[in-house]
Amino acid sequence: MTLLRRAIAALGVAALIAAGLRIRGTGGTPPQTGGWRELRGPDLR
Amino acid sequence: MSDGTGAPPTPPSSVAGVLGIGATGARAARQLASADEVGRVVLGGPGERPEALRQSLGSAAELGDPFAAGARVLVLAGPAGTHLEPARRCVERGIDVVSTSDAVDDVRGLLALDGAARAAGVRVVAGAGFSPGLSCVLARHLAGWVDEVDEVHLARFGTGGPACARQHHRALAARSLDWRDGGWVRRRGGSGRELAVFPDPVGSLDCYRAALPDALLLQPALPGVARIAARQAANRRQRLLAVLPMLRRPHPEGRIGAIRVEVRGRRGGESVSEVAGAIDRPAVAAGAVAGLAARWCLDGRIAPGASGLAGCVEPVPFLHQLADYGVRAAVFEGVS
Repeated sequence: MTLLRRAIAALGVAALIAAGLRIRGTGGTPPQTGGWRELRGPDLR
Repeated sequence: MSDGTGAPPTPPSSVAGVLGIGATGARAARQLASADEVGRVVLGGPGERPEALRQSLGSAAELGDPFAAGARVLVLAGPAGTHLEPARRCVERGIDVVSTSDAVDDVRGLLALDGAARAAGVRVVAGAGFSPGLSCVLARHLAGWVDEVDEVHLARFGTGGPACARQHHRALAARSLDWRDGGWVRRRGGSGRELAVFPDPVGSLDCYRAALPDALLLQPALPGVARIAARQAANRRQRLLAVLPMLRRPHPEGRIGAIRVEVRGRRGGESVSEVAGAIDRPAVAAGAVAGLAARWCLDGRIAPGASGLAGCVEPVPFLHQLADYGVRAAVFEGVS
């Protein structure tokens, strides 16, 4: 019984950590160089 | 009437219809009312907005049933889920149709009209908005910059009017539809976080899988591509509450939005990545795209059949004309 309670508690903690990571994480790192410019001239031929 | 861009002459008295006068439909109607080849615009749909728009447009517009008024082209700008039935009626009556819907079921149904549309000599343009729509044209344009396209990744941020916002909310809770290695893959909405860099001032935002029709529209136009995936930007609140009904009233006209298109492929044997995007109020841009697509239908610049914009317009003149209407795209230079 004690083993079962500990397993359930461990699963609960793992689920909380996973939920936290899912909500708070980030999808990548923004580029450090480069930028946007209007599409015109040679780009539109 | 030729516009100097190679379009064949069009009778100036063509009647255009717009069904669904919300933020997007109103913009499309305004654009059609100012077009030389359109004699009058017939506005249909519920609520008080059609009458307010008619008063604003003056003699160029009237209220009524676009079918009864003899419209040659009909722009469908109503809420998602309301596009299929009028599109079928259009095909039966020989009326070209332009749909702004970004719902997967609408787009799938519209594309299924291809056989009937070809037989009737009718044009059915599906997904003619900001995203899908302009995003598809940009993807097709970028595909021309590489020798071989391997992957297309699209992302979008923002919503148009309230109907668009509700569809955006529903899409995040529904399963995505991506093209991968010759087959369709459906995954849970809200998963697959990826940082997308949109044009300034929107910047970098986390984007997630959602029920978006972009891959459905792009795959026929880019048949050799191994992977086509679309994502939409969302914050924590939107992700957590996606499965519930919308708790906030959507903005009536929508705020700023953005799209981003990345085409990965090979040029001269080397792997390259080309990125383009745009920022605008989604309803404004979507209305401009739909209005321009309707004008191209009237001009005969789109061949009969059902397809997305990537499969039926030449990207360069289309983007040129859109820029004339103030909808401008941008390219990203640097390591994305």
